[in-house]
Amino acid sequence: MKNGPLFFLGLLAAVAISWAGIVLGSHAQLGELPPYFDQVEGQIYPRRPGGLAARGQLVYADLGCAACHTQQVRRPDFGSDKARGWGDRQSVARDYIHQSRPQLGASRVGPDLANVGARWEKTENAAAGLHQLLYQGSSAHPNYSFLYEEDAMVGERSALALNLSGVNAPAPGFQVVPSERAQTLVAYLLSLKTTYDFPESVPVAAPKKSQETKK
Amino acid sequence: MINSPTHAGPAEVTPIDPTARGPLLLLVGMALGWLLVSGTFALIASIQLHTPQFLADCSWFTFGRTDAMRESTFIYGWAGNAGLAISLWILGRLGGNPLRATNWVVAGTLFWNLGLAAGLVGIATGDMTSFSMLHLPLYVQPLMLFAYATIAISGVLAWGGRRTDGTFAAQWYAVAALFVFPWLFSAAQVVLLWMPVRGTVQAIAAGWFTQGLWTLWLAPVALAGAYYIVPKTAGRVLPSYEFASLGFWTLLFVGAWTGGRHLIGGPVPAWIPTVGVVACSLLIFHYSIVFLNLRVVTASVGNAAQFIRLGLIAYLLVGLLDMITSFRFVAEQMQFTFLATALQQLGLYGAISMIFFGCIYFMIPRIVGAPWASVGMMSAHRVAVIIGILMLVGGLAAAGMMQAGDLLNPNASLGDILARIRLPLLVVTFAQIILIGANLLLLVNFMKTAASRADGDVRVQNLFRQPSAIEASAT
Repeated sequence: MKNGPLFFLGLLAAVAISWAGIVLGSHAQLGELPPYFDQVEGQIYPRRPGGLAARGQLVYADLGCAACHTQQVRRPDFGSDKARGWGDRQSVARDYIHQSRPQLGASRVGPDLANVGARWEKTENAAAGLHQLLYQGSSAHPNYSFLYEEDAMVGERSALALNLSGVNAPAPGFQVVPSERAQTLVAYLLSLKTTYDFPESVPVAAPKKSQETKK
Repeated sequence: MINSPTHAGPAEVTPIDPTARGPLLLLVGMALGWLLVSGTFALIASIQLHTPQFLADCSWFTFGRTDAMRESTFIYGWAGNAGLAISLWILGRLGGNPLRATNWVVAGTLFWNLGLAAGLVGIATGDMTSFSMLHLPLYVQPLMLFAYATIAISGVLAWGGRRTDGTFAAQWYAVAALFVFPWLFSAAQVVLLWMPVRGTVQAIAAGWFTQGLWTLWLAPVALAGAYYIVPKTAGRVLPSYEFASLGFWTLLFVGAWTGGRHLIGGPVPAWIPTVGVVACSLLIFHYSIVFLNLRVVTASVGNAAQFIRLGLIAYLLVGLLDMITSFRFVAEQMQFTFLATALQQLGLYGAISMIFFGCIYFMIPRIVGAPWASVGMMSAHRVAVIIGILMLVGGLAAAGMMQAGDLLNPNASLGDILARIRLPLLVVTFAQIILIGANLLLLVNFMKTAASRADGDVRVQNLFRQPSAIEASAT
């Protein structure tokens, strides 16, 4: 390798080819992916998240939630994602087209959140429940009380105030209310739904096999 | 060890080293400082894994932020500074000229580390990006790029002005790392931060960058060090050296394609992980050639060689495990578990850091002109680091194994899984404490050695008659 310029060109080619292949290649394939228009419902999917939810994604990103939570459901015969109730279908690229910062994640210390909105919606007053979890924490989840404000109750109790009891209850005359960041974060979490079946998201593998082999 | 058969090659006594003393000591000093900072963040993060309430109500230290700070200080602080020092030193020596533009190196080093410190504050206060290994806030990223270029000028000049006709494998790897990092870094910044691509293409581009950082930057720096030092400590030429260029180009051209394997089963085109799996298998060529060339490390003597030997074993192991774990049936189980973390730590700590430690042990006495201040600290560091890394990787792997089995069982809740892997996670915390202690020993030893250089110039000639003595080998 006596030829300096040739060596340099080789290095450049090594980086450029892999970049072009992987980044530009997938961009060419997915960069223009349109939403899906459902003719029967007259709606486009995925739904565009509201302003609160879009801001909440930035809170999710800056707190580093993705260090413990993934947002990608794998197909029914690949892992136990479906059996855990994380989603009936695999996540597909179209699910993420409206997200400015898709948070796929790489670690499952906590549950997958790709479909967390749909899961919580089944419970009564989902937002209050999520606020409670974030404020109090659990044996597996840290308590992010810095996202909440404890203030003296002036006049009527805030409609957003958390219903707390036991050691977490605020002093009499005080209430715990979610900060703006906490509200956007919860709005974001509740907006995460992959319940709509896109044509490409129908499971490719025979569902019968998947339920038998995975215990 | 004074009677070691190692010969004082012509490169052992060189007027090239003293000119580079200041900047290289600065780089290594910064590197070791950041390693301790990173260790502290690693300790906090590891405690938070088994005790989630630890520092939970402090917004600066959510687990995600702590872990991002650990990773950033490790990659850009420790590996970045140390890697630059090693590359510059090797390029200067093999170029046959004293390093030039050393003032630029000093200025660049200060800005690089200032940028990193500012970036940490940014991460802690909520400005981190959401991409692994690229967590530093976007406003410090151009500064980091600029500072890196300022430091690298010196290496480019040494390469361009080299006196020798031929080139050596150590030079290829060092030059590759020097040039490729700014390309990777700026390309990733453009597609992820300045003009972000859409949807999951971001995850694909981030995977390309993360993998490139490992295969095209950190691994080449480590290999440059190994290719330079192993023949010297073994006292013989490398066997099958004619294949070294094949190994080099295989790593360069195939390495960056392996990133997609982590996205198996994810919302990306199926060819992305498939290409990753194929590339991982192809890369076995590279690892085989590294093994063929550097197997003489078994004949090496001295403290530096011991570090490099273990680092190379870990490097080859990572290559093999990367290939095995990229296959779909393995990935199905180990994806998203601590097994992936264990493998990453085996690479970053077991392979890269161990080789870097070896290079530092070899390089410092030569640029300072005095032997290491304390042989005791040196052996204590080696023993403690080995124990620490074994516990760290072992603990994470054990946690990952249990987690992998339980995650496939839909009846085991995530909370239960976390409770079950508490014991191995406690081992990881303990390992982090040992590693902090070990690296503190290295930092103290380094500072004492660097301070002893005042009368070094007189003693250096005497010492270099016995080059092995200068490493004050503890074997």
